[in-house]
Amino acid sequence: MNAPDRYERFVVPEGTKKVSYERDTKIINAASFTIEREDHTIGNILRMQLHRDPNVLFAGYKLPHPLQYKIIVRIHTTSQSSPMQAYNQSINDLDRELDHLKNAFEAEMAKFSRDY
Amino acid sequence: MEGGVSYARMPRVKIRDLKDDYAKFELRDTDASIANALRRVMIAEVPTIAIDLVEIETNSSVLNDEFIAHRLGLIPLTSQRAMSMRFSRDCDACDGDGQCEYCSVEFHLLVKCMTDQTLDVTSKDLISSDHTVTPVDFVDSSLAEPSDTSTNRGIIIVKLRRGQELKLRAIARKGIGKDHAKWSPAATVTFMYEPEIHINEDLMESLTLEEKKEWVESSPTHVFDIDPVTQQVSVVEPEAYTYDDEVLKKAEAMGKPGLVEINAKQDSFIFTVESTGAIKASQLVLNAIEILKTKLDAVRLSEDTVEADDQFGELGAHLRGG
Repeated sequence: MNAPDRYERFVVPEGTKKVSYERDTKIINAASFTIEREDHTIGNILRMQLHRDPNVLFAGYKLPHPLQYKIIVRIHTTSQSSPMQAYNQSINDLDRELDHLKNAFEAEMAKFSRDY
Repeated sequence: MEGGVSYARMPRVKIRDLKDDYAKFELRDTDASIANALRRVMIAEVPTIAIDLVEIETNSSVLNDEFIAHRLGLIPLTSQRAMSMRFSRDCDACDGDGQCEYCSVEFHLLVKCMTDQTLDVTSKDLISSDHTVTPVDFVDSSLAEPSDTSTNRGIIIVKLRRGQELKLRAIARKGIGKDHAKWSPAATVTFMYEPEIHINEDLMESLTLEEKKEWVESSPTHVFDIDPVTQQVSVVEPEAYTYDDEVLKKAEAMGKPGLVEINAKQDSFIFTVESTGAIKASQLVLNAIEILKTKLDAVRLSEDTVEADDQFGELGAHLRGG
């Protein structure tokens, strides 16, 4: 009867930003990114990729509530970098990794169908 | 790319087995977050096509209308087209009534039982408006001879007795497993850490043959075996190990801790993918990578966010006396 529509879990409502950015008011080079309609799939890969960046002092994500379809990624970096730079870099690196993975899988498929 | 530095990894893949509805492969040089993201996307976010709207004209069967509508929804449909189709909610060419080639496929079903024998209404009775989108045909491709019609009758929707009739129109739409499980292309997707098993040979040789047998038997799965000639214990199938710790507990109980050392390799995974038949297992993996890339692209910062921060940054620097 009053159940919310199922698509509300993954469709960003009109007039809402997918990603919003908020600087920390007390700590320099720290910020939170609120990502709408995403979950552990994106949150966890971003966090792990950020941990590979030596300029990142802290990176974590949380899903504040299972019925609020958003995640919050918090990044704290050294003065050599900035949260925004680290965030962009991690997305670029993940994109590159997935590109490589796709090619690797396709190459293996071609090899597999040839060999067997 | 900022300054040309990159912390990207170059994962390796090795396919072990590949069939239409089954794939087994090794994924190396990456971490559990990527493996798990792939698994999650395969289950819940790779799109397929499934019946979503049913208009029943006549139903004198024993099952009620909504029961039949639900059963129709669960029938897997061949969904190679799904990646290039539109979601009904973002389709601007139609109002989602099933007449639109970009977002929907229409099905008809018209069956009446005229004999004294019970009539099975199956997925094979569904007539599709698009020959590329049809109910999945479960013919085992590994069989050399095509199976006879008595063993391959499709998925039963309902059974009719004499005089009963079922007539309906159904609209199939593109969707994802997150919305409803009927759209999930995956039957099962699992991954395990590759185990690394080392037997301490010196300690092992301090056991009698009886003790060795007892220890090998303690594993619930067939991981170790004893060579009948040399009476040496060896690892025959490391991947059969289910991380149950039984052999470690047994070694402890026998007073031989450290008899075997088992490590889960943190950067090496063995994936098992089973598809419902809606798309091929190999295509499922590739689509999942593609979807994950699109998702990552969607979470990039927008231009106005960056600009707003630049201004704020200057202002902040100014306020700090910069």
